[in-house]
Amino acid sequence: MFSLGDLQLGVPSQNVREVTRMGPLTPLPRMSAAVLGVVGHRGEVLPVVDLLRFLGVGELKPSPRARIFIGVAGSLSAAFMADSVIGLRKVFTADIWPAPVTGHVPAELLLGIVTTDREGEGAINLLNLVRVLQSARQRAVAR
Amino acid sequence: MSAETPENPNQPPAPKKKGGASKNGSIGLLPLTNALKAAAKGDFSARAEVERLTGESAEVAALLNQVLDQVANRNTEFEARKQQTVQVVDQALDALIALVRQGELNRWTSSNTTDDPLLGPLLEGFGKVIETLRTFVREINEAALRLSSSANEVLAASTQHESSSTEQAAAIHETTATMEELKHASAQIAENAGAVARVAEETLESARSGRGAIGEFIQAMQQIRADSAAVADSIAKLSKRVERIGTVVEVIDEIADRSDLLALNAALEGSRAGEAGKGFSIVAAEMRRLAENVLDSTKEIKNLITEIREATAAAAGAADASKSATESGEKLGSAAASAVESILAGVQETSDAARVINLATQQQRTATEQVVASMAEIEDVTRQTTQASKQATGAAAELTQLAGRLAELIKRFKAD
Repeated sequence: MFSLGDLQLGVPSQNVREVTRMGPLTPLPRMSAAVLGVVGHRGEVLPVVDLLRFLGVGELKPSPRARIFIGVAGSLSAAFMADSVIGLRKVFTADIWPAPVTGHVPAELLLGIVTTDREGEGAINLLNLVRVLQSARQRAVAR
Repeated sequence: MSAETPENPNQPPAPKKKGGASKNGSIGLLPLTNALKAAAKGDFSARAEVERLTGESAEVAALLNQVLDQVANRNTEFEARKQQTVQVVDQALDALIALVRQGELNRWTSSNTTDDPLLGPLLEGFGKVIETLRTFVREINEAALRLSSSANEVLAASTQHESSSTEQAAAIHETTATMEELKHASAQIAENAGAVARVAEETLESARSGRGAIGEFIQAMQQIRADSAAVADSIAKLSKRVERIGTVVEVIDEIADRSDLLALNAALEGSRAGEAGKGFSIVAAEMRRLAENVLDSTKEIKNLITEIREATAAAAGAADASKSATESGEKLGSAAASAVESILAGVQETSDAARVINLATQQQRTATEQVVASMAEIEDVTRQTTQASKQATGAAAELTQLAGRLAELIKRFKAD
């Protein structure tokens, strides 16, 4: 789980390869606004996605303690920026509520909404990272 | 007397007449007899009628007539002289009566004389006495007049003297009162000057202690300046140390951050390993919590360092301000010291002046007291003088009265 802007988002751990710090970012021309650039990580070149722009709910403000997590779905992988990482949580499938159609985040990109019993943590949008990655790729190719 | 006096000188003819009458017969001698009878009675105007006689008788009658004529003449002459004498004596008596009754001396004139060998010198002496009296009265009158005017002058002078003496007494009284006031005033002045001198003495004492205090103040200021310089030094050192701590904290922060990431990824790996990695995940989570705690602590330390930095900056500013404040304090102190010095000089002068005034007013008081005593004596003398001049005025008034009375008395004698 991580926070991003006003949002608190969650990603299934099988879709997360690693959490790391932001390295030197290389901007790419003629890319979607949601793609900030590319970054080198362990010999791999990964696109850096601003999820806020991608979801159309705002714009990321880079902070010094910003993290990126590297999301994988099949053969696709990308780095996603987050303000901070809240931590790992164990969530039962039964606790996942269907995503509301009227939420900030498009419902087709979500697995659902979970509530944790911890204090200070509200409802968390659980991202369907496979779809997010596919959608991002589609957008990048569409351009 | 008047009858006797003519008889004596007629005695010789009387016997002649008798003899003639008796001799010439009883008839023919009647005219002679008649004439002789008349003569015997004092009537010498009767004459013997010679025509009726003849002879011898006629001759006798003629002789008798001659004798009678002579006697009559003598008698007339005597009568005239007697008349004159009586008149003169009357006049003298008159003059005497006038002198005695009215003091009149003018009735007698020197022309009143007589041929009488006996009365003449008497009248002459009387006249001389009158004349002498007249001269005397005139002189006395003149003297009385002069005396009166002189007495008047004396009275006027004496009255004036009395009034001026009274005025003098009043003036002296006033002067005495004024001197008394002056005495009181000078006593007051002396007292005030004494008070001023005392206050000046106290002020002098205070100014001296003020001078000492200012000296101490300046020393304290210098000490404070040195101390604040030391404080500024210490603050600079402290600031450097704090910077160093900051660097160390940065390193710790970095390490904690990396540990956090490592723990997170370890937890991720543990969760991927499934049931076997569960314990590993728990350890990783603990590690992460520790790293987060360290991060929180370093954050706190950083905040503290920021606060310390601000505080040291403020302290440095304060030390600077204190330094400049102490410098201006030193300047003010030296200014105050010089001001106190001039105050000391001024107060010293004031004290001296007040002492001089005190001394002078004391002398003045003594002098005034002497003057007051002298004035009292003068007043006494003046009172006596006034008394004496009053007496003199009374005496002069009496003298004037007496002179007037004398003039009045002498006026009774009319000598002009």
